[in-house]
Amino acid sequence: MSLLTGMSRRAAALAGAATLGLVLTGCSGGTPSAGSEATLVAYTGQSGDYQINFNPFSPSRIGGLGAIYETLFFVNKAKVSDLVPLLGTQHSWNTDGTVLSVTLRDGVTWSDGQPFTAKDVVFTFGLLKNNAAINNIGFDGTAAAVDDTHVTFTFQAPAFVKGPDLLGTVPIVPEHLWKNTSPTEDVVEKPIGTGAYLVSEFKPQAFTYSANSRYWGGEPRVKKIRFVALSGNQAGADGIAAGTVDWFTGPIPDIKNTRKNFPNYDAYTQWQSQMVLATCSSVQMGCTGPQTDPAVRHALYSALNRTQLNKLAFQDTASAISPAFTLTPSQDRFAAASLAGKVAPMTAEPQKSAQILEQAGWVKGSDGIYAKGGQRLSLTVEVVTGWTDYITAIDTMASQAKAAGIELQAAQSSWNEWTEKKGSGRFQLVIDSLGQGPAPDPFYLYTYFFDSGTGAKVGQSAGNNFSRYVNPQVDAALDDLAALPLDDQAARQPYFDTVQQAIVRDMPYVPVLTGGTTSVWNTAKFSGWPSDQDLYAFPAVWSSLDAAEIFKRLKPQS
Amino acid sequence: MSYFLRKLGFYAVALWAALTLNFAIPRLLPGDPVDILLAKLQQRGGTVSPETREAYALLLGGDDTGPLWSQYLDYLKNLARGDLGVSVSYYPAKVSDVILSSLPWTVVLVGVATVLAALLGVLLGAVVGWRPGTWLDSLVPATTLLAAIPYFWLALILTYLLARVLGWLPLQGGYDVALTPGWNTPFILSAVRYATLPALTIVLASVGGWLLGMRNMMVSTLSEDYVLTAEAKGLSPRKIRRSYAARNAVLPSVAGFAISLGFVVSGSVITEQVFSYPGIGGRLLGAVTNNDYALMQGVFLFITLAVLGANLIVDLLYGLIDPRTRARH
Repeated sequence: MSLLTGMSRRAAALAGAATLGLVLTGCSGGTPSAGSEATLVAYTGQSGDYQINFNPFSPSRIGGLGAIYETLFFVNKAKVSDLVPLLGTQHSWNTDGTVLSVTLRDGVTWSDGQPFTAKDVVFTFGLLKNNAAINNIGFDGTAAAVDDTHVTFTFQAPAFVKGPDLLGTVPIVPEHLWKNTSPTEDVVEKPIGTGAYLVSEFKPQAFTYSANSRYWGGEPRVKKIRFVALSGNQAGADGIAAGTVDWFTGPIPDIKNTRKNFPNYDAYTQWQSQMVLATCSSVQMGCTGPQTDPAVRHALYSALNRTQLNKLAFQDTASAISPAFTLTPSQDRFAAASLAGKVAPMTAEPQKSAQILEQAGWVKGSDGIYAKGGQRLSLTVEVVTGWTDYITAIDTMASQAKAAGIELQAAQSSWNEWTEKKGSGRFQLVIDSLGQGPAPDPFYLYTYFFDSGTGAKVGQSAGNNFSRYVNPQVDAALDDLAALPLDDQAARQPYFDTVQQAIVRDMPYVPVLTGGTTSVWNTAKFSGWPSDQDLYAFPAVWSSLDAAEIFKRLKPQS
Repeated sequence: MSYFLRKLGFYAVALWAALTLNFAIPRLLPGDPVDILLAKLQQRGGTVSPETREAYALLLGGDDTGPLWSQYLDYLKNLARGDLGVSVSYYPAKVSDVILSSLPWTVVLVGVATVLAALLGVLLGAVVGWRPGTWLDSLVPATTLLAAIPYFWLALILTYLLARVLGWLPLQGGYDVALTPGWNTPFILSAVRYATLPALTIVLASVGGWLLGMRNMMVSTLSEDYVLTAEAKGLSPRKIRRSYAARNAVLPSVAGFAISLGFVVSGSVITEQVFSYPGIGGRLLGAVTNNDYALMQGVFLFITLAVLGANLIVDLLYGLIDPRTRARH
């Protein structure tokens, strides 16, 4: 079940409840849901009761972002596309990337009736700059209001790559209410925003949004949205089976036959998280073990039978992966023309593995496993206990790798311990997935996971680059990319080529498959859900900015 | 009097030891809250840039900078003031608010279920133990079987039968979320209805232990001389059973009951998980997986106080009920 995202994996571990889920949800649903027809019941994967917090800057917020507090634009991460205007209508950079001008929507009011103006935008960005604890986009520019509907952002250095973060992730808050509150400690029990919804009631077990009749885009057609608190993904799947939940993003048993098992529901999958066997790759940074040899990483890459893996471990919900980590096919345009394979082979190539290893001086021992200098080619993969899909994946990969003379062993540990190992670099291989940035652009993934700036020596805590990959050429290319406009593909591609050639050659993260995120939603009560024909947002209920766009597009079926 | 003072002194030392362990154990867990929060955001496809890391470290990481001993002193000082700190996973909510919002659910559900299980078990045990060897004795293996089945399994089977197949009781949650929590009839009725299934599973799973204990004590009490004397006096069997045999046999169960009341506060993590029931168990689980030290300490503190309190009461009561306990000291 590749759709088991981190938290769900943990929930599934509990009490082995997952097994029984099959029994519980095995009998077919179709019970009509209780309550009023117009209310959409969503389950975000929240485990346990809600603690009130609608502060859009708080990491422990339960809601508010997107549906209540809007951003300037919406960035659709599901496909490469233009920004969707929200509070901003137009934006443009000056040629050297130091001034960003944004035109704001006219005639927008806050839900308390006050007008929204450029002053609110300037105030919001001032708030970020003055409160390092909420400045999670690292905003270091200056925002200034030209008039009521025009704002400029000025930076010291070219800041093109900060555009999507700034325009698409910062919730704009009203100056007249926020100037006297603490943005880190206020839980904003009565949020006032410009968005399509208002909070109408809060209870620890559920809170409800109701439609904002003043919304600039017109009052949304779904009048009420209720978010319920359950114990975890198993409970979410039970809710789907019982017809008490209308939208849930997570695993349900027998996904392929959702339509058949639950006639009122449909399941839809999109692929964003690129699953990898991350290696502690750099000897220079203190990594030890066979995986520090790039030949071993390439041999492992060729040894995998991805078709079989997808079927056995992920219920066929994963999809192909590019060795250059451009999402395939949606980001294929960024892949270097010189790359030999645009997609990792779906079948095993053990002869190729053998050839790579033998060229690098590894010799097959009598036990069928390669060895070099007295060191057997045996690798340990760290995984979190209870992440059943990943554990199955490792077992499958272990038998595939064995055929190519590589021994893989799974080491299970708790979530906390696993995080600690990853951070400190005390591991050989870790199974994990690489996430996307604020825009559908591979630059962000490269800069998060391959820039030596976010790495660290073994024993010290690393940031995103936990494989501790170091390559000055890549660092330089990423710095140059940061100074180029995101839409200037011709100028950017040579740098992408440099990065991709280096990371495909060195392969600090061995690509496995691209994991799917599956949403199950009620098509009998509501229409207008994202589809292949109209992929207007990433379909995940826990991704608040995307969910807000989806709520606005839905229509109750009468 | 010195008996009671000695007891109180002993409990003060036990409390201090428990508080110290309570401080130390969460800090032995690997990982730190910021890393875990970020890893979680990342698993959900969130953007975790170095800037995000810095911001969250600033927001959440204020506590753990000083040396351990000064953290320990601060911890004791704050406890004395009743300040349990701020929860990281529910930031900026206070630990005491988080706990107090879940505590009533646990206390009512697990408390009522524990009382029911103990009453039922002891009463049945007294009846069964009065006539050992008859068909009634088959209640013992029947109920111990229920206790031996892994609890989550029993709970899931009952859920499947009563909620999914028969549809008599709600599947999950603590109340109908369309109602307003408070002292109003529809809400209370709904809360009772939602609690029935979880309570039923707890009672079924634990009644066996009470029954077995009581039945065995009953059997051994029946061979005591005073029971024989009572029979010889010509007292009615009902009176002997109630006032002579059962009263003496119930003493260990009373002690056990007081202790299990102490554990009520710790809730039942699995019950709450299976039924998505609001309560302290779910909070504890969340605190452990998020390395939320303050919340863990808060929950442990409540459990420690409840268990110690229950033990203290039993000890003191025993001193009153049974003079032999006092005389030995």
